[in-house]
Amino acid sequence: MNKKLPFRFFTTHPRVVILEWDRKPDNTLLNQLIDFQKHILRRFKEVTQITQGYASLMLFHNTEVHHIADYSKKLYLIFESLPTKAVKKGRLWQIPVCYDNSFALDLKALALKLNLSPEALVELHTSASYQVYFIGFLPGFLYLGGLPKVLEHPRKIKPSPHVPQGSVGIGGKQTGIYPFDSPGGWYVIGKTPYPLFEPQKKKPCFAQTGDSIQFVPISKSEFMELDRQKKNGSLKLKPS
Amino acid sequence: MIEVIHPGLYSSIQDSGRFGQQFLGVPISGAMDQIAMHWANSLLNNPKDSAVLEMCFRGPKLLFHQSTAIALAGAHMNATLNGVKVQNLNAIEIKENDILEFGNASKGTRTYMAVAGGIQSPEILGSRSQFKGITTDSRLNKFKLIPFAKVSFVPKKGARLSIPKLDLKNLKITVYKGPDYDLLPFEAQNQLTKSVFTISPKNSRMAYFLEQKLIHEIPSLWTTPVLPGTVQCTPDGTLMILMRDAQTTGGYPRVLQVSDEGLNLLAQKSTRDSFQFHLRAV
Repeated sequence: MNKKLPFRFFTTHPRVVILEWDRKPDNTLLNQLIDFQKHILRRFKEVTQITQGYASLMLFHNTEVHHIADYSKKLYLIFESLPTKAVKKGRLWQIPVCYDNSFALDLKALALKLNLSPEALVELHTSASYQVYFIGFLPGFLYLGGLPKVLEHPRKIKPSPHVPQGSVGIGGKQTGIYPFDSPGGWYVIGKTPYPLFEPQKKKPCFAQTGDSIQFVPISKSEFMELDRQKKNGSLKLKPS
Repeated sequence: MIEVIHPGLYSSIQDSGRFGQQFLGVPISGAMDQIAMHWANSLLNNPKDSAVLEMCFRGPKLLFHQSTAIALAGAHMNATLNGVKVQNLNAIEIKENDILEFGNASKGTRTYMAVAGGIQSPEILGSRSQFKGITTDSRLNKFKLIPFAKVSFVPKKGARLSIPKLDLKNLKITVYKGPDYDLLPFEAQNQLTKSVFTISPKNSRMAYFLEQKLIHEIPSLWTTPVLPGTVQCTPDGTLMILMRDAQTTGGYPRVLQVSDEGLNLLAQKSTRDSFQFHLRAV
């Protein structure tokens, strides 16, 4: 009796169920959430799509959800039978980023605030490996975990009205790439020439939840060359 | 083709939305008032989610390059065909070179125009709904050509759809509890379910911000999935109702979830309109 349930279960809409974990997101939870989604989609045909947050899932159904108590019990049982160790690691993507001042609009300012040299900041940013926790905010925007603690810094007080597509930024405990031109409050420290979201493709986004990302520094001339290839439509990331 | 002589204030091509791509961060989009879209399509014997033109506040001026039939539903926009007034909720015959012009919206905010056979702009990721970064254009632009299917549909004379009249003055929006509703203090819950709310000038296809604030102390969350109709509350108490073009994830507490019917009703409301939430169990 009184056994603690593994997650909280909400029906906030007749066809939507939200599951939430009272845990700090980490790689163990991430891998469990990925496994769990596969099991749910296989087992319950009425679940048409699942979206993910750091410690939550949203299940979309094609019919109204009934017998809530029974449904939640089934989900608890499936979750608790999952292995807690990661079975399969995602792919690794090495993303070329140019940290040149012409793109890294806020690199100097952020380095100053963090009490680092710009070179040390770039060195730290490129030496870490980041997990794709989920995709959200904008099409193809990867929520990445794994930013070194020394690089954490609150977002800008005044967001920039225009952050160019491909910009790599740091905000709070997060780092990420802007898939489209958009307003944004992160410190921009570099730019990738690679397209992040291509709606015309069958697989519009190269990465998926559970993959890993590394940033590889490139020079401005390398960036220009890759950017030329992008304009020809021949630029495509390959997993390592 | 339909030529856009003037695009109006905010017109866009919409259908039932881009469902199934949200795990990649793609908004659902689609017609803000799905019911009005269904009505307009049904008058032309179209499948009910065929792509239509959604027009907001002030409609466009359009030139038809071929004959077809159209139907209008939703807000009244004082539409004229070659200068002659046309009505909502009946099928209208269109001849080559006809000019259809819309005025300002009354009795609602958004008007829908269906075309016999449906608008045939390119389908991207399963939908024709226009959205920045997904479709070539994010809305209707001047001089653009809108393709439509060539079907022979002859409207029946006098055929008209009669629909129940909406009381837009005393609007009750049916909502369900959001995951964070129970974390709100009693006073805040009371305010949400008992008081009148007003839509602020900050309202768009992405979200409606409300004028009234909600006192609460729920901390921001680890980013979670959200969907159209999710009502979020920022740290300073600002309430925002996410609409069809909403992003797929968010970090603010989710206090309510608007029902499907409620979302369609809100689509016809705008700045300074007021309403009450009507809380119901799922």
